[in-house]
Amino acid sequence: MTNARAYLANRSNLLASVLVALVVAYIGWKVTESPEQALQFAFNGMSVGAVYALVAMGFTIVYSTVWFFDMYYGAAAALGAYGVFYLRSSETLGGLYEVNNPVVNGIFALVVAGVVLWALHTAFYYRLRSRFGEKTLRIGGVILAVCAGAYAGAVLTFPSNLHITLAPTIAIIAAIAIVVCGRALNTRIFRSNLQKVPTIALTIGGIAVGVGLGIWLADSPGSKLYLSWGVSCFIAGSVSLALYRGLYVYMRQRARSPLVMLVATLGILLAFSALIVMVFEPTPRPLPEPFGNETWKVAGASIKGFNVFTIAVACVGFVGLLWLLKMTTFGRTVRAIGDDEEVAKVVGINTTVIIAIVFFIGAVFAALGGLLSGHDTAIQPRMGLLLLLKGWIASVVGGIGNLQGAILGGFILGMIEQFGIWDLAGEWRDVVSFVVLILFLSFWPTGILPRK
Amino acid sequence: MNSSPATTNASLMARGMTALREKGDIELYANVFVIAWAVIITLWQGTGFAVTLGTVFCIWAILSVSLNLVVGYTGLLSVGHIGFFGIGAYGMAILTSDTSYELLRTESIAQFGWPFFAALPVCVIAAGAVALAVGAVFNRFRDDIYVLVSFGFAIIAFNVFLSWRGLTRGAYGIRDVARPKIGSWEVSGELDFLILCAVFLLIVVGISWFLVSSSFGRVLKAIREDEQVAQVFGYRTTFYKLAIWVISAMMAGLAGGLFGSFTTFVDPNSFILLESMLLVSIVILGGLASIRGSLLGALAFVLLEEGMRFIPFLPSEFVGQARQVVLGVLLVLLMLFRPQGLAGRYKL
Repeated sequence: MTNARAYLANRSNLLASVLVALVVAYIGWKVTESPEQALQFAFNGMSVGAVYALVAMGFTIVYSTVWFFDMYYGAAAALGAYGVFYLRSSETLGGLYEVNNPVVNGIFALVVAGVVLWALHTAFYYRLRSRFGEKTLRIGGVILAVCAGAYAGAVLTFPSNLHITLAPTIAIIAAIAIVVCGRALNTRIFRSNLQKVPTIALTIGGIAVGVGLGIWLADSPGSKLYLSWGVSCFIAGSVSLALYRGLYVYMRQRARSPLVMLVATLGILLAFSALIVMVFEPTPRPLPEPFGNETWKVAGASIKGFNVFTIAVACVGFVGLLWLLKMTTFGRTVRAIGDDEEVAKVVGINTTVIIAIVFFIGAVFAALGGLLSGHDTAIQPRMGLLLLLKGWIASVVGGIGNLQGAILGGFILGMIEQFGIWDLAGEWRDVVSFVVLILFLSFWPTGILPRK
Repeated sequence: MNSSPATTNASLMARGMTALREKGDIELYANVFVIAWAVIITLWQGTGFAVTLGTVFCIWAILSVSLNLVVGYTGLLSVGHIGFFGIGAYGMAILTSDTSYELLRTESIAQFGWPFFAALPVCVIAAGAVALAVGAVFNRFRDDIYVLVSFGFAIIAFNVFLSWRGLTRGAYGIRDVARPKIGSWEVSGELDFLILCAVFLLIVVGISWFLVSSSFGRVLKAIREDEQVAQVFGYRTTFYKLAIWVISAMMAGLAGGLFGSFTTFVDPNSFILLESMLLVSIVILGGLASIRGSLLGALAFVLLEEGMRFIPFLPSEFVGQARQVVLGVLLVLLMLFRPQGLAGRYKL
């Protein structure tokens, strides 16, 4: 009781409490007035909030590792959405407007080749150097990277055969995943390495499943849309990784303050958004419907099946990211870099590689948020910047640098936006969210769940 | 002795590189390059075009000089300056335009019919008043949070222009904004308007130069370097930050008034967030904490669009986008090699 009195004695705390009470009273009054409408707004808020939560999580994992603000995230969200449009433009708008640009394909093929080369180098170069010699490894790596780039270019050039071109890759990935997971599970459960016969059986089984999956995929053209999601997320992530490894690393060595990085990434965002306008025209575009127009009625309010899917994706992404950060060695190193990068370097962590992977993951989340919101409404070149700002606000509201805070902040921001425009027109949505941001920064600068 | 030419070459190159890194040289080259470019464009496109370009340059220059007071001299990276520009432009449009055509529509807006020179001070004061209220809230934020809230101001301002239809007509925009008139001299010609803008630009540059070279300006620089030290020496930094913010916003309001009168048509699309980001990149490109640098940046920005027309195979509707790409790449390169901008005195 005395605690509460002391809390309220502070003038700004008192003001904040009064504000919260007013908001709660307003929402409560509105809910009693028409509960059905309130439920509808809650559903809308959840589905918008899921997108914000995805972007905020991607933003948080990067920001809490390198502590500068990467504006490329806006471009990553837009790339995710426009990537789907690029690959599926033959289906949207009834095939009236198709876009497939060899220059764009070439650039992304180059980026993919570079990323593959980097990945091969970091994964195998030092491990295999003594066995094969430096020259062989270099030549082999370049050949593999060129093959990967050519493959990526081919995938982008023939978007209508996506399910066929991607089938072998997915088969290989599935086979490798089954073998690796099987071995890992075995070590977890039996605390011993596999014997020879079960290893061979597992390998054969994995290959069989992979081949089966590949054949099934090549035979089902309905999966093209979902494959295009994967491709555009991968491309957004690869561009982010390439930007980090090729540019930010050198810039961070010279930068005096995080603002330098912010301005530089602002330049990247400007360039990317202009390029998006140049390749696709500035008018808003629709994306194809993913699961038809199914809507469910719950107590008088309706929710689209796709929105439920979006919320599920946000929750699964959150759980996956949490698992990655809390339970794995990779996550521990990421947190160590976030706490003190110099010390992490001294202890022997290869910070460049870890941060590059973090950038990849963050951009994949941003792209996922972008393409899901694009399916929900429409895509336009400036959606990236807006999503980025919303993700930033969500992470400030939830507590900057904290993953739980990011998902909570995303959903809360979505809810507040929807309830805030109850009495206003829908176009005041952005104003509501920025007013919320300024109030939060004034009264709770650390957010709801501050980072410890 | 075989290797001596190579070493001489290497040492020459090294000397050249150090000379390039010295402060003055890049600035000089940039000045010469941009001015030569301006002359070429004038010769190529004719003087009539150059007059229009000059007016646009004056408006952008007022904006970038005023933003440099905040970003370069005080160290507050604000991306929301376009909001004040928009307030000025809309003030001019609402106060002076003859909106009788509006009576045909259902949603009519108020009509004042003021002359240009009566409306201009109101624009300036309106921008200043809004800045006072906004700055009082924003003063407590710093660094990247400041960037975020200033983004917020730009977005809120844009949404007000777009959605407050009773005042601004929303997406339709307001047309027939008045041109200035002094006595019998009606400033209707392009050249007359250029002279008017240039006079205002001179006034703004003079005020800015006076501010930054006075003791007030020195306190601003102290705040930029270390706010707490300035507080220790007894300066009320909140007051100084608020004052320069309001002054800068008033200059932006002036630029907005001129812009509204120059284009005679005002709609929300001129005040989107992107324009604000371009404005910040002009200021950083030209040079932080340097008024001359801001003039250079604005000139380069205006000329860049014309320069883009030289690029073969570039469709004319993409000229603006190409300029944006070039600006973005320049920003990245500057941040890598020259974080103070072309003519800057302060490294971000």
